[in-house]
Amino acid sequence: MTKRIPFDVRLRKNLPGWLIMLPSLVLFSFFVWEPLLESVRLSLYTAEGMRLVQFVGFQNYLDVFQHPDFWPAIRNTFYYTLWSLAIGFLVPIVLAILINEIRRGRSFFKVGIYLPNIVPGMAMVLMWGFIFKPSNAGILNVMLSALGIHAQPWLTDPHLTIPLIVATLTWQGAGATALLYIAGLQGIDPELYDAAIMDGAGIWKRVRYITVPNIYNLARTLLILQIISVFQILYQPLVMTNGGPNNASISIMQLVFRYAFQNYDYPKAGAVSVIISLILIALTAAYNKLNKEKDM
Amino acid sequence: MANKNAGYGIIRDLDLKSPGVRSGYRLVFAICVVALLVGIAPMVWVVVSGFKTIKEFVISVNVIPESFDISKYTGTWISLKFAKYYRNSLVSVIGSVGCAVIFNGLLGYALSKVKPSGWRIVYALVMAGLLIPATTSIVPLFINITRVHLNGSFVPLWLSIGANAFYVVLFKTFFDSLPNSLVEAAKIDGCTDFRVFRSIALPLSRSIMMVVAIYAINAAWSDFLLPYLVLNQSGLETVMVRLFQFRNGKTSDIDILRAIVFVIIPPTVLFLFFQKQITQVTAQSGIKG
Repeated sequence: MTKRIPFDVRLRKNLPGWLIMLPSLVLFSFFVWEPLLESVRLSLYTAEGMRLVQFVGFQNYLDVFQHPDFWPAIRNTFYYTLWSLAIGFLVPIVLAILINEIRRGRSFFKVGIYLPNIVPGMAMVLMWGFIFKPSNAGILNVMLSALGIHAQPWLTDPHLTIPLIVATLTWQGAGATALLYIAGLQGIDPELYDAAIMDGAGIWKRVRYITVPNIYNLARTLLILQIISVFQILYQPLVMTNGGPNNASISIMQLVFRYAFQNYDYPKAGAVSVIISLILIALTAAYNKLNKEKDM
Repeated sequence: MANKNAGYGIIRDLDLKSPGVRSGYRLVFAICVVALLVGIAPMVWVVVSGFKTIKEFVISVNVIPESFDISKYTGTWISLKFAKYYRNSLVSVIGSVGCAVIFNGLLGYALSKVKPSGWRIVYALVMAGLLIPATTSIVPLFINITRVHLNGSFVPLWLSIGANAFYVVLFKTFFDSLPNSLVEAAKIDGCTDFRVFRSIALPLSRSIMMVVAIYAINAAWSDFLLPYLVLNQSGLETVMVRLFQFRNGKTSDIDILRAIVFVIIPPTVLFLFFQKQITQVTAQSGIKG
């Protein structure tokens, strides 16, 4: 333990720092920390509009579980996540490795693949809605008919909705994520490759024993960030499909949106929010535990 | 222009002597070109289709419109009153940039260079905000904003971006890279903490302020959920809120298509000017913007 320093000395030493932080701390409390805690409290009460009325324990949670859209939303959200791991996780890695091999005009490619990432989410969602139009007006169906293939239902086919939405997410995010991997690839010491060549390693062996292990940690971090972000998917089902067809694409965040801003049932919206947070915390913790065991 | 890193990937100059590797390299190049086209084609299609008439858009199978008459775009601009929504978005963006730089910058500076006792707790709380998804607390946040009667105003949008954990971390990392000796020397000369911040830290941190500003412009321009909750039906709707209102179905498809173009233009221009800063920070931060 340190020796006791007089209070006024400590105050004079620390006060300026706290004053500098104070405005930001007020903002963080109002916009981030308090709402996080408040959503827990909110979920345990009944409310009239925004006024909390009565403590009801876990009643809101029980009601939410009974809601006909709840389990479809949970199931779909896991589907979104699984599809995004199947489609969205490997694309940026492969793209990064390929672009990093380009000898001329590499920076041009890097700028080009990032471009979809600057399209604002709402514009991107509407744009893909047009591309996937099920009638003969959709550009994809126009292209298919030029090849002599029938018009496809795209998003209105319940089996295709989620994979297609994930494809649009990948379209938007893959380039930006690939840049992260490219930065990682450039950090690999070229001498490692030289040494491997001396040992007679071909190109595939270099990829397998040098490239992949060197971006492994980065990939692990990005994997969990991707899961967290896809789990909160909202704009796409909200605008492109409105959760349909027949609840085939409704997401758990969309349920929060419906409870809160269509039914004005804030406590139930809070309950669903808390459930989402708990699932994400559990996923992250399980994931960290798995990784630790692997490292040992 | 030859890249100075050429030949430092997996395929080396020596490998290219083999014809198999050479055609493999051509395949790699071709795949990258295809990826680039897939990335850009949808945006090009929207811009080009915006030049079609409604009839053309519904019936014609040609991708290229009959004429490239810019008056079709200006017509939509006027009939949808987009100048108004642009103005609203601009006000939202300007205030957001100011708040993003000032509040996150101050906190990042204090956590890096001043470090009053208890800073570790604050830092841990900030990092927790980075990991726990913010969208799940949108309902209580909306209630908070309504309770202090800030609905229908830009103020909550400006201030909310002043509490952004990602920007705080960017600032803190930057200030951590400035040598402590600079600050200590100034303090020995009798400078107060505020003086050190104003005369030493501030002038040195132009580059990071620039980066956060660019990020904040994009974030504020693209943000939808909070602006929708706070500004819907207030007459102050931003362009994104307007885009969402198209869902009600009173606007023709071709007008919506042109509106999408209006919305994409500002971030594209910004990106073309600052592509280096934007792509570099993306690569360093590990979090996409």
